[in-house]
Amino acid sequence: MSNQDQDNLTDHEYDGIREYDNKLPIWWLATFIGTVIFAFIYWLHYEFAGGPDLQAELKIEMEQLQEKTGGHGHDHGTAVAVSEEELLKLMTSADTVSNGKLAFTGKCASCHGDQLQGLIGPNLVDEYWIHGKGSLSEIHTVVSQGVPEKGMPAWGAMLKEDEIKSIVAYIGSQKGSNPANPKAPQGEKVVNN
Amino acid sequence: MSQVDNNPKNFEEIYYDDDIVKKFILATMVFAGVAFLAGLMAALQLAYWPMNMNMEWLTFGRLRPLHTNAAIFAFAGNAIFAGIYHSTQRLLKARMFSDSLSKIHFWGWQLIIVAAAITLPLGYSQAKEYAELEWPIDIAIAVIWVVFAINFFGTLWKRREKHMYVALWFYIATIITVAVLHIVNSIEIPVSLFKSYPVYAGIQDALVQWWYGHNAVAFFLTTPFLGLMYYYLPKAANRPVYSYRLSIIHFWALVFIYIWAGPHHLLYTALPEWAQTLGMVFSVMLWAPSWGGMINGLLTLKGAWHTLRTDPIIKFFVAALTFYGMATFEGPLLSIKTVSGLAHYTDWIVGHVHGGALGWNGFLTFAMFYYLVPRLWNTKLYSEKLANIHFWIGFLGVMGYYVSMVAAGITQGLMWRAIGADGKLIYPDFVETVTKIIPLYWARAFSGTLFIIGFAVMAYNIYKTIKAAPASQPVAVKVTSNMKVQETSTETHRALEGAATTFSVLTLLAVLVGSVIEIYPTLSLHKYVPKDVQTVPYSQLELAGRDIYIREGCYVCHSQQIRPMAAEVLRYGKPSTVADSMYDRPFQWGSKRTGPDLARVGKKYPDFWHFRHMIDPRATTPNSIMPAYPWLERHKIDFVSLRKKLSVMQNLGVPYTDEEVANADIQAEKDAKKVAAELKAQGAPDNLHDKEIVALIAYLQSMGQKEKKK
Repeated sequence: MSNQDQDNLTDHEYDGIREYDNKLPIWWLATFIGTVIFAFIYWLHYEFAGGPDLQAELKIEMEQLQEKTGGHGHDHGTAVAVSEEELLKLMTSADTVSNGKLAFTGKCASCHGDQLQGLIGPNLVDEYWIHGKGSLSEIHTVVSQGVPEKGMPAWGAMLKEDEIKSIVAYIGSQKGSNPANPKAPQGEKVVNN
Repeated sequence: MSQVDNNPKNFEEIYYDDDIVKKFILATMVFAGVAFLAGLMAALQLAYWPMNMNMEWLTFGRLRPLHTNAAIFAFAGNAIFAGIYHSTQRLLKARMFSDSLSKIHFWGWQLIIVAAAITLPLGYSQAKEYAELEWPIDIAIAVIWVVFAINFFGTLWKRREKHMYVALWFYIATIITVAVLHIVNSIEIPVSLFKSYPVYAGIQDALVQWWYGHNAVAFFLTTPFLGLMYYYLPKAANRPVYSYRLSIIHFWALVFIYIWAGPHHLLYTALPEWAQTLGMVFSVMLWAPSWGGMINGLLTLKGAWHTLRTDPIIKFFVAALTFYGMATFEGPLLSIKTVSGLAHYTDWIVGHVHGGALGWNGFLTFAMFYYLVPRLWNTKLYSEKLANIHFWIGFLGVMGYYVSMVAAGITQGLMWRAIGADGKLIYPDFVETVTKIIPLYWARAFSGTLFIIGFAVMAYNIYKTIKAAPASQPVAVKVTSNMKVQETSTETHRALEGAATTFSVLTLLAVLVGSVIEIYPTLSLHKYVPKDVQTVPYSQLELAGRDIYIREGCYVCHSQQIRPMAAEVLRYGKPSTVADSMYDRPFQWGSKRTGPDLARVGKKYPDFWHFRHMIDPRATTPNSIMPAYPWLERHKIDFVSLRKKLSVMQNLGVPYTDEEVANADIQAEKDAKKVAAELKAQGAPDNLHDKEIVALIAYLQSMGQKEKKK
C-alpha cells in the first residue's frame, strides 16, 4: 500500500474490511449524467413534443407496404384474376406440377390429406365442390383469398403467385385419382366439368 | 479507527451461529443440482421434443416454471441466505437475533421449495412468471420472509457495530423490497385450495407482474449478490474496497431507478405508452448505477491482480463481475424500443438472462462457497486444481450458452420480420423460423451440460473437503460494542449508516416512488378502453378452457400480444388492444415465442384442426417441436368448479349476470356438447363432450373474437 493510498483510506473498518474514498471515475460519472440527459430528452420528445406514437409508426409502415404490393390488401390475399387457359396450360408442365406437389405437401396436406382425399378440409379430387364449381380459376381464388370463416387461410398473403398457380395446377392434375379413405362428399355435385 | 475501545473490561465473548450457514450452504448445493438438471431437461426438450417422455408432469410448460423457480428461489435464495447469515453476524458483531427464527426460516423455506416442486409439475400454477406458485404457497412465502426480516432487523437492533457497512445496505434493500413486490403481486382471490384469480386484469396484471418480475431480478438476483460481493471480495482478496463514495452513489441510484424499469418487458404491447417510455428511459439510466457495483468490485483488486492467476476464488469473482457488467450493459440496450422490437420474444432474452444467472449469480455463489466452506469447516479446500477445472469448464459453458442463444434470437427475430419486395413475409410459416435454430438449441444444451459438469466437480470437491474436516467446536469471538460512542461524523450519509431505522425507511421510500407512479394510474383500467368498444367476457366453457391453458403453461411458449409492427400485422392480424385482455385474469401475454402468437388465433382454423394439432402437433404442422397433449382427450372437464369461478370473476367486476353464474356448469356442459358434436361431424372420435380438449378448443377459438363495437 503506497502512502498516497493510505491517505485515501477512510477510518471505517468492518470485520477487517477497510474502504478507500476514491473519487468517482470521471467516465463513469459522464456515462451516468449522459444517460439521464438522454432519458429526459427522449421522454420530452415522445410524451410532449409530438414524437410519433406506436400506432402512427405502424401506419407509416403499413402505407409503405401498400406501395410495394400495389395497393392490394393483405388480409384477404391478392385478388389477381387468372385465366382458366393459363392454369390449364400450367397443368401440362411436369415441372410446375411437381413444384405444386411439393408446396401442397408442405402447406395443404395437413388439412386436405396427402392424397388430396380430404381430412380437416374437403376432398379435392371428388366431384363435389363447396366454393364454386371446381374450375381451376375458382380454385385459384379460394387458395389466394381463403375462406377465413371455415379456417382456410388466404395463401395469397403468404405465398408467391407462382407457387399458388403451381398448387392449383397440381390439384387439377390429381382430379379423379380415387385415393383410399376419401372424405365424405361436401358441397354440390358438379357434373360435366 | 477512532472508535476502537481498548478497555479489556468491555470485551465480550460471543459465538456466531455458523450452523445455520452450513445448513443453507448444503441446501444450496442440493437445489442447485435440481435447478440445473431441470434446466438441462428443458433445453433438451426444445432440441428434441419427445424428451418430455410423453408425461404431462414433465412437459415444457410445467417444467420451465419448475426450472426458473428452482434456480431463483431454491438455488439463489438459499445461497443468499447462507451469505447473509454468515456476513451479517460478523459485520454487526452479533449472533443472529433468534436461533429459533433462523431455524424456522431455514426449514420453512425448504418446505416451500418442496411444495413448489410438487405443485408445479401437477399444473397448479398462476401462470405469472416467477410467481407461478398458488396462493397457499404465496402466503407461506410471505410468512417466512417476514420471519427472515424479523431475524435480520432484530440482529441490526442488537448490533455492536454502530455503522452499517455497504453490504448491509443491500441486504436491507433486498428484504424490504422483495416483501413489497411479493405481497402486491400476489393479491389474489382463491377459488379452491390450489386455484386463484389475481385481482388485477389485463394491462394492470401485466404491469404489476413485470414490476414484480423485473424487480425479482433486481432485488433477488442483483442487490443481495452485490451485498455478498461487497463482503466476500475484499475478504478473499484482502484489499480495501475501492471507493466508499461510489458505494453510496450507486446504491441509492440503483434502488431508486431499478424499480421503474419493469415496463421494458412490455414494449410495443397494449400497455399505455407513457408507461413503456418510462420503463425504457429508466432502464437506460440504470446502466451506470449497475456498473458502479462492477467497478467497485474490480478496482478493489487493484494491486492484487496477480492473485487472478493463482487463486480460483478471485477468478470466480472477476468472471462473475464481468458477466454482471455484460448483463447490465445488455439490459439497458435491450430496453431501447427498437432493439426490444427485434429481441423480445426470442432466445436473445434467454441468453441475456442466463449470462446473468449462470455467470453472475452462479459464479458469485461458487466464489463465496470456495471461500466459506474451508473456513466454516475449519480445514483446507480439498483441491485447488479441481476448483480451477470447475472454473474453466463452467466458463466455457456460460459463454457457449450465451453465444448460441444470442445467435438463435437474432436469427429468429430477423426471420420473423423479413418482408420481401412483394410485400409478403419471407418466412410465413412460423415453424420454419424454429427448425432453423434447432442446431443452436443443441449447442445450448451442450453448453449447459458443461456448466453442470463444472458444478459436479465443485460438489465433489466440497464433499471431500467437508469429509476430511476435523470435528470442530464453535469458537468464541471477542467483540466490543461501539454503540454508545457519540456520532462524530459530520457527514450526513455517515450518520445515516448509524441509524438503521431511518436508513430502512428511506430505502422503502426510494422503491415506493417509482412503484406508485407507474402502477397507480393503471388501476383505473377502464379509462384506457375506448368508449365505443365492448368486450364480451369468456363463456363458461371458454373460461374452463382458459384454466387448462394456464395449467399446461402454454404462456411459456406462446404470446398473446400482437405488436404494432407491419410484420406482426401480416403474420397475426391487427395489434392487440387494451380491451382484448381486459377480463384476463391472469393476463397471458407471455414473454417468449417458441411457437406463434395466439392473440387472434380464434376462428383461424377449424375445431378439428385444433383437435388433431393438440393430440399430435406434427399431424397438422410438420416439423413442429410442440409436445403432444394426448391426455386432454382423456381428462374430464371440471364443470363443478365453474360456478365458484364465475362468482369470483363476477365479484372482481367481470360483467357476468347472476343467471350466468348460477347456471355456469349447466351452460358449459351444453356448449361442450355442441363443440363435441361439431368435432364428430368433422371426423373426430365420439364421446368428447366432457373432455378437456373441448374446453381448450372453445377457448382457443374465442381468442381475438371478444371485442365488439358498441
